[in-house]
Amino acid sequence: MFSLNKQAFINATVVSIITIALVFYGSRELQNFDPALIAYLFGTVFAFFGVVYRYSVWLQRPPTRMYYKRTWELIWNRQFFSHLWFFIKEFVQNIGFQKFIYPRGRSRWIGHFLMAAGCTLAFAITFPLTFGWIHFTLNPESGLDPGTVKLYEAHFFGFKMMEFEVGSFMAFMIFHALNWSSWMVIIGVLIFMRRRLTQPGLISTQSFEGDLLPLVLLLAISVTGLGLTYSYQFMKGFAYDFMAVTHAITVIMFLIWIPFGKFFHIIQRPAQLGAHIYKREGMRRGMAVCLHTGKEFATQMHIDDLKDVTKELGFDFTLEDGTSHLDLSPEGKRSRLAMAHLKARQENGGKLFG
Amino acid sequence: MARLPVSAEKLIEEFGPHLNYPPKEGYAGRDEPDKEVKTHCCFCGMQCGMKLLVKDNKVVGFEPWMEFPYNQGRLCPKGVERYLQNNHPDRLIHPLQREEGKGFKNVSWNSAMEKTVSEIKRIQQQYGNDAFAMLSGVSLSNEKSYLVGKFARVALKTANLDYNGRLCMVSAGAGNKKAFGLDRISNSFEDLERAEVIIVTGANVSETFPTLTHWIWRARDYGAKLIVVDPRMIPLARTADLHLPVRPGTDSALYGAMLKYLADHDMLDHDFIDNHTSGFQEALDAVQGYTLEWAEQVTGIEKAKIELAAQWWGKASTSFLLHARGIEHHTKGVDNVLGCINLVLATGRIGKPYCGYGTITGQGNGQGGREHGHKCDQLPGNRDITNPEHRKIVSDIWGINEKDLPGKGLTAYELIEAIHRGEVKGLISICFNPIVSLPNNNFVREAFEKLEFYACIDFFMNETSRHADIIFPGSLQEEEEGTVTSAEGRVIRVRKVVDCPGEARPDTSIILELADRLGAGDKFKFETSEDIFNELRVASRGSTADYYGITYKKIEDNMGIFWPCPTLDHPGTKRLWEDKKFCTPDQKAHFNPVKYREPGEVTDEEYPVVMTTGRVVSQYLSGTQTRRIGKLVDNFPEPKVEIHPQLAKKYNIRQDEIIRVVTRRGSAEFPANIVETIRTDTIFLPYHWPGRKSANQFTTGNLDPISKIPEFKVCACRVEGTGVFAGPSTDSKAYAST
Amino acid sequence: MPVTNYSTNQEFFVDMQRCIGCKACEMACAECETNGHESMIHVNYVDRAVTIQTTVQVCMHCDDPACANVCPADAISKDEFGVVHTANTSRCIGCSNCVMACPFGVPKKNEAYDLMMKCNMCYDRTSAGKKPMCATVCPTQALFYGTRAEMAMMRPNSTPVNNFIFGNENVSTKVNIMMPKGSTVLRVD
Repeated sequence: MFSLNKQAFINATVVSIITIALVFYGSRELQNFDPALIAYLFGTVFAFFGVVYRYSVWLQRPPTRMYYKRTWELIWNRQFFSHLWFFIKEFVQNIGFQKFIYPRGRSRWIGHFLMAAGCTLAFAITFPLTFGWIHFTLNPESGLDPGTVKLYEAHFFGFKMMEFEVGSFMAFMIFHALNWSSWMVIIGVLIFMRRRLTQPGLISTQSFEGDLLPLVLLLAISVTGLGLTYSYQFMKGFAYDFMAVTHAITVIMFLIWIPFGKFFHIIQRPAQLGAHIYKREGMRRGMAVCLHTGKEFATQMHIDDLKDVTKELGFDFTLEDGTSHLDLSPEGKRSRLAMAHLKARQENGGKLFG
Repeated sequence: MARLPVSAEKLIEEFGPHLNYPPKEGYAGRDEPDKEVKTHCCFCGMQCGMKLLVKDNKVVGFEPWMEFPYNQGRLCPKGVERYLQNNHPDRLIHPLQREEGKGFKNVSWNSAMEKTVSEIKRIQQQYGNDAFAMLSGVSLSNEKSYLVGKFARVALKTANLDYNGRLCMVSAGAGNKKAFGLDRISNSFEDLERAEVIIVTGANVSETFPTLTHWIWRARDYGAKLIVVDPRMIPLARTADLHLPVRPGTDSALYGAMLKYLADHDMLDHDFIDNHTSGFQEALDAVQGYTLEWAEQVTGIEKAKIELAAQWWGKASTSFLLHARGIEHHTKGVDNVLGCINLVLATGRIGKPYCGYGTITGQGNGQGGREHGHKCDQLPGNRDITNPEHRKIVSDIWGINEKDLPGKGLTAYELIEAIHRGEVKGLISICFNPIVSLPNNNFVREAFEKLEFYACIDFFMNETSRHADIIFPGSLQEEEEGTVTSAEGRVIRVRKVVDCPGEARPDTSIILELADRLGAGDKFKFETSEDIFNELRVASRGSTADYYGITYKKIEDNMGIFWPCPTLDHPGTKRLWEDKKFCTPDQKAHFNPVKYREPGEVTDEEYPVVMTTGRVVSQYLSGTQTRRIGKLVDNFPEPKVEIHPQLAKKYNIRQDEIIRVVTRRGSAEFPANIVETIRTDTIFLPYHWPGRKSANQFTTGNLDPISKIPEFKVCACRVEGTGVFAGPSTDSKAYAST
Repeated sequence: MPVTNYSTNQEFFVDMQRCIGCKACEMACAECETNGHESMIHVNYVDRAVTIQTTVQVCMHCDDPACANVCPADAISKDEFGVVHTANTSRCIGCSNCVMACPFGVPKKNEAYDLMMKCNMCYDRTSAGKKPMCATVCPTQALFYGTRAEMAMMRPNSTPVNNFIFGNENVSTKVNIMMPKGSTVLRVD
């Protein structure tokens, strides 16, 4: 049963209000806001609300809270800058380039990278556009003088950021950026769909709503988005309305689904870097040695934290002698189980079989 | 002539061994194969059934074959990984000719054949027919084994043909023939299921025949007592009811003492002994004085344990005794086998349900391959090449004059010695890697370096074929139709699953063409493997190993037929001797007197430690196939010396320290694995690796006087620490050691 | 989940005493389509210096899986058949909480993938009505997959047990371990 999480609700509400306020002021009291994008705006704000709500709920779970707590500790740590530098490096490698996917398969990495890059680029453009934070104008001086090259000006939060020539390569790249992102997503989606439809291992474990629908949705968004451009460029507006409506519907579906479905992993992913830093800091503090194998197997901080976390979750692996079953490495645990099993067999008249 | 044309390292670079791994997401088409072919594993004598998956003429994976009665889908790691020998980058796909200073160059089939035939003719004209020898192997099908036997005698006209079964189970074969007049395990393994006592001696079942463990465990589920005789606590022995850690080379003393104990306590089947056996008294006389105390002193096994084993064996109403190379690889291999048989006969537990005895044949077709005539003293149907009657029968079938049929030749190791002495000048081999698998292999290598001409048929270039002048790229097991006979005596079908890649050709077609070019084409008119099998059936008709009633169709319909099967309507013989009529001239089972003798090399002050050799679960024999399969190599990347902590302490050796093993035949270094699971006076070294990592650099060339099997299981050594510690095994690259 | 033929009357039974450490299961596991030639089963020596004893461990598929509980990313889920699935690749952040918390030492962290992987009872095979690869090939049937009735007939003197005590914790699982007849629980330490 769903019950409202107060803290999460407050966080989400606050973030939503701040967003709306930023939209209001960022668009110079709505003068730069494009009313045609109002549906997108609602979708986006809802997505923000949902994401923050879910993230807040998520942070309250014992294992996540432990990591959250440790993260704040690191801020006050002498190693802060070292960890920060590590974080930046890892962010580029693992969030930017998703390095960890490459060993899982080359085509898998290419597909994922294209989707991720496409989506990130699209977010970077559409959010500010929707919020009315950026808009483009024709430089009035160049616009009045028919002899000069016409210049576009880009504005952010109402401030002029840059200008470029109409018809220039820069203009081409900027005004078609969403098309580029669409193409990247489409290629990525097709690579992934092929995997999901042909590999027996994936077929047996995937679900439609969890794994295929997100791909379908991304494909629909990208195709209709591209369609909008190509419809007015090459097809004299053929099916423009249909595409505009479908695009809007799919994008809004996508936005409001972020907090609930597969796409939440985009929000979760940076926690991976947290885990890396946690391990890094843990190794600095010292390793745990397995009581059975006598070998180092994890950071002592991790094992100690896990003892607390498991207890909080209702698991008590404390042994009679005060140590914990968690003081054993995975190999040690397996060996101890086998030893216990052998002992139980032997105590039963030594009958190992039958 | 046959020194390596370039360095071994260079040859390895080009021809391997390289490690083959499957692609991350499996071979394409594994989930939707073109066909699933029911066939068998290419490795050990268990010949487990399995289905190979084929896509676009490539083996892309396997599926368990649940219906095959022996293994019902069960497999060992080698069986699981077996499919990876296909599609292997090292696969030989062109005929090769040695090029001095450069290695090997691709040549045409015609040129390779011409060169080989002209060299055969030259050597035979110059030095006599027997100066050109042939060595074969029992990973070959029954058809190929038969064909090789006929080829050597009829086309090559040499007496000197022998095979790698000589280092497998010839001691068992010789012992069985002496005692029963026939050489086959007496029962199918299903009879293990309700045996009350099982003795497994000198057989590391769980590593060398893992799938057989199931049948032993089944018996134990029903309450069977398991007795394991082995110098090491092998996986099978860990849970055994009784483990007898015998000192290597003293097995026959143990059986002698047990026989005496049975007789002294009258745990004998007098009715069986009196009516169906001969020689009991002589056998008993031979063990007079073999008291438990004496046995304890000789074997190093506590006498209470020996007594318990004898009591259990004596009182059992059903039983099974299994042995393998552990007792056969000795200068008294035949004695050891006969000692075991004496225990079986004394209690009369043979020829009855759940009462069995036999050797566990090691190689894939170790059973069938030793019956059909590529052994130096043998003709098809396990016939004797020195017996005029047998010679006549086979000569008639082969369409030759009996006088032209060569006589008995040299056994495998004697052949190597003859090459070393310069008496044999030329050699053709198939399916044999003697430079890794024969004892004292530095001597073996020297012999190969002395050959004037050496041709080899193989699918990978192994340590021996590097010495060849011509290499014919032959076929893998899954590239030709045929039959093999499993360790149970079950004749089964192996299938042609895919075609040979590149220019490689089926072994059969290579041998047939050589026969034709040697002028014997009219004697080798076979179109298919089945044609060869049909001639084999006729050639074995009426013999002790009678296959006459077995046809391809019958095998396929019944998932195997047990020989002897004399007529077409005969169902085959799962359990031998139910009629108590043995194949000896007097139709009785023969006891044989076994007096204890010392092994060929004994320990002394200079070499105070016994070294014994054996196998590991993830490797097979000389490793030509398995040292190329990535995951199998990763599982056991390098040989380590197993040594007891007491012995290690004496020499101040620590875990993972590199130690030097020194013998009269050389020395080499290996990491130490200090374990309490071995006798305190013995070290163990597995033998699958070549060059400096080879255990057979140390083993002696001492042979059993009857079976001529080399004594792989005992040699004297000393160990020395080096103070250096070994790096990770995976970095050792032992699989391609030189 | 897609259409499934998962057979609910077949269960997994483990008896480590039968294990000979051959690693056929490990090789076979890698052939399973769901884990891309990575093996998810564990075979290890218990203490090689003194004994040849090996143990074999598949995922026990706990009723209340510690791994899923400690996962900060909600990456591990249990399905309607009680199969605890391997980490969802998009969610798993590679923190190893599950690896260190599992009382049976089952989940494996693949460092290169920065991903936890574990046995999912050969879901590609079991969901198609087939037996898991490891239990099919196991030459000693230390791993067995079949019905309770089959097991009772084959090993009448043993009882399948699926309750384990680790200190103060009692863990019940979907997978059974074969114990002497009449046993109800295995106390590990």
